[in-house]
Amino acid sequence: MSSISELYDVSWEEMRDKLRKWREENFRNSEQIVDVGEELINEHASKLGDDIWIIYEQVMIAALDCSRDDLAWSCLQELKRQFPDSHRVKRLAGMRLEALERYEDANKLYDSILQDDPTNTAARKRKISILRAQGKSSEAIRELNEYLEQFVGDQEAWHELSELYINEHDYAKAAFCLEELMMTNPHNHLYCEQYAEVKYTQGGLENLELARKYFAQALKLNNRNMRALFGLYMSASHIAASPKVSAKVKKDNVKYAAWATSQISRAYQLQHLPAGVMLTSLALSISTKTPYTTAASAGVAVVIEIHGRRQT
Amino acid sequence: MSLKLTTQAYCKMLLHAAKYPHCAVNGLLVAEKHKKKDSPRDSVLCVDCVPLFHGALALAPMLEVALTLKSRLIRPGNIFPVFNCPILIDAWCKENKYVIAGYYQANERIKEARPNQVAEKVAARISENFSEAAMIMWKCREPSTDCFEDWIEAQKITAALLESKSYESLVDFDNHLDDLRNDWTNPEINKSVLHLC
Repeated sequence: MSSISELYDVSWEEMRDKLRKWREENFRNSEQIVDVGEELINEHASKLGDDIWIIYEQVMIAALDCSRDDLAWSCLQELKRQFPDSHRVKRLAGMRLEALERYEDANKLYDSILQDDPTNTAARKRKISILRAQGKSSEAIRELNEYLEQFVGDQEAWHELSELYINEHDYAKAAFCLEELMMTNPHNHLYCEQYAEVKYTQGGLENLELARKYFAQALKLNNRNMRALFGLYMSASHIAASPKVSAKVKKDNVKYAAWATSQISRAYQLQHLPAGVMLTSLALSISTKTPYTTAASAGVAVVIEIHGRRQT
Repeated sequence: MSLKLTTQAYCKMLLHAAKYPHCAVNGLLVAEKHKKKDSPRDSVLCVDCVPLFHGALALAPMLEVALTLKSRLIRPGNIFPVFNCPILIDAWCKENKYVIAGYYQANERIKEARPNQVAEKVAARISENFSEAAMIMWKCREPSTDCFEDWIEAQKITAALLESKSYESLVDFDNHLDDLRNDWTNPEINKSVLHLC
C-alpha cells in the first residue's frame, strides 16, 4: 500500500503542518489523522523534535476513534515513557479504557487524578463523557451543571450541555446555554443561528418572533449562512400564517418572507443551478401548532427494525 | 405489506452512518409512485435514500425545510411568497416520480435503537402523505435478509464502497446547507453503485 506522501506528493513538513492545522481547529477527521500521523511517526520521528509528543497525543485520540488499539497503545507507551507522572497522559490512558468500554477502570483512573488535583477539568469532563456514553443523560446533565457552576467560562462545556438538553427535548434549558455562549461570543453567527433554531422548535408565537430576529442577526453576522436564511423564511411564514397576529404584523412578515425567498433564489442562481419549478411553502397552510407539538397520532403503519424482527 | 430496499438505498444509508460514526444520522427513503392509485401495494420498494442530517436531529427548522417545502401552482394574486428552489427535495421527487415512503435514523449510541420523539414525529408526517410509510432504526445485529431486493449484491457493493472510503464524498442535506454546490442526490455515488452492480 502506498504511503500518504507518495499518494498525495507531500513532504513530511507539509504533513506535520496539516496535523497542526487539524489540531488547532479541533477537526474530528480521525481516519485522516491516523493515516498521516502514523506515517509521520513511523518514518520521520527523528525530524519532528519536541512536536512529536503532541503528535503522539493527537494520533492516539484519533486511533481510539478508529478502533486502532494497536496504534493507540504504542503512542501511549511512548508518552508514558517520556512523561511518567503526568496527569495529561493518565487522562489519555483513561480515554483508552473508555474506548474499550472499561468504564469502571476509566472512572477509577480519573478519580485518582482528581484526588491529586481536584481542579483538573479534563478528568471531570471525561467522567461526564462516560455518563453520556452509557446513556445516562440526566446524570450527565446534572454533573455538567455542577461543573459549570464552578467553571462558568468553559464554552465547550456550555455547548455540550446545550446538545444534551436538545437531545432530551428540553429546549428552554438548551436556549439558556446558547444564551451564555452568545453573550461571550457576540460575533459568532453559528451560536445565533442555533439559538434561533431552538426557539423555533420550542414553538409559540413569541418564540417564533424571537427565532426570526435571531435568524436575522445571524444573517447580519454572516450573510451566506443558508440555514439562517431558510430559518428566517420559515419563521416569518409561520408568523404570517398565524391567526393571532395583527394585520400589520402579518404584512410585515409576508414582506420578510418574500425578501428571504428572493435571497434564497439568488443564492441558488449564483451557483448556476438550473432555474425550474416555482415553489411555495406548505408551511403557510400549517396551523399555528408547530409540528413539534402535534402528537404522532396518525400512527406509522409499519415499524421495521432493519437488524431485527419485523414488527407491525 | 413488506418493505424492500434496493442496493442503492441501502448503500447510501450505510455510507451516511459510516461518514459520521460519532453522530446520530437520519434521512428519508423514497419509493416510485404507484401507477394504480386505488389498489394497495403488497410491497414497497425503496429505490433511493436522501441522507438528511447528522448531529442534533431534534431541531425543527431544517427538518421542516427538508420535509415540507413543496411545489404548487402559482395562482395570480397569491400573496404568499414563492421562490425558485429547484433543488429542494419535493421538486426532486416530483421530477423523478418518487414519493417519500420512509425514514431512517441511526442513534448516537449503537445500543440505543428505539425510535425517539423525532423519529415518531417525522414518521407521522410522512404517513400523512403515504399510508404505507415505514421507519427504520439502525441496530448492530445481523439484518433479516428479506428486507433487501438482493442481499448478496448489497453486501458485496457496500463492502467495496466502505473499503474505498466512498463515504467521505457522501453529501447529506446538512452538507448542502453548508455549501449549496454539494449535491444531496449523490450522483457520483449512484454511479459507483451502478458500476459495481
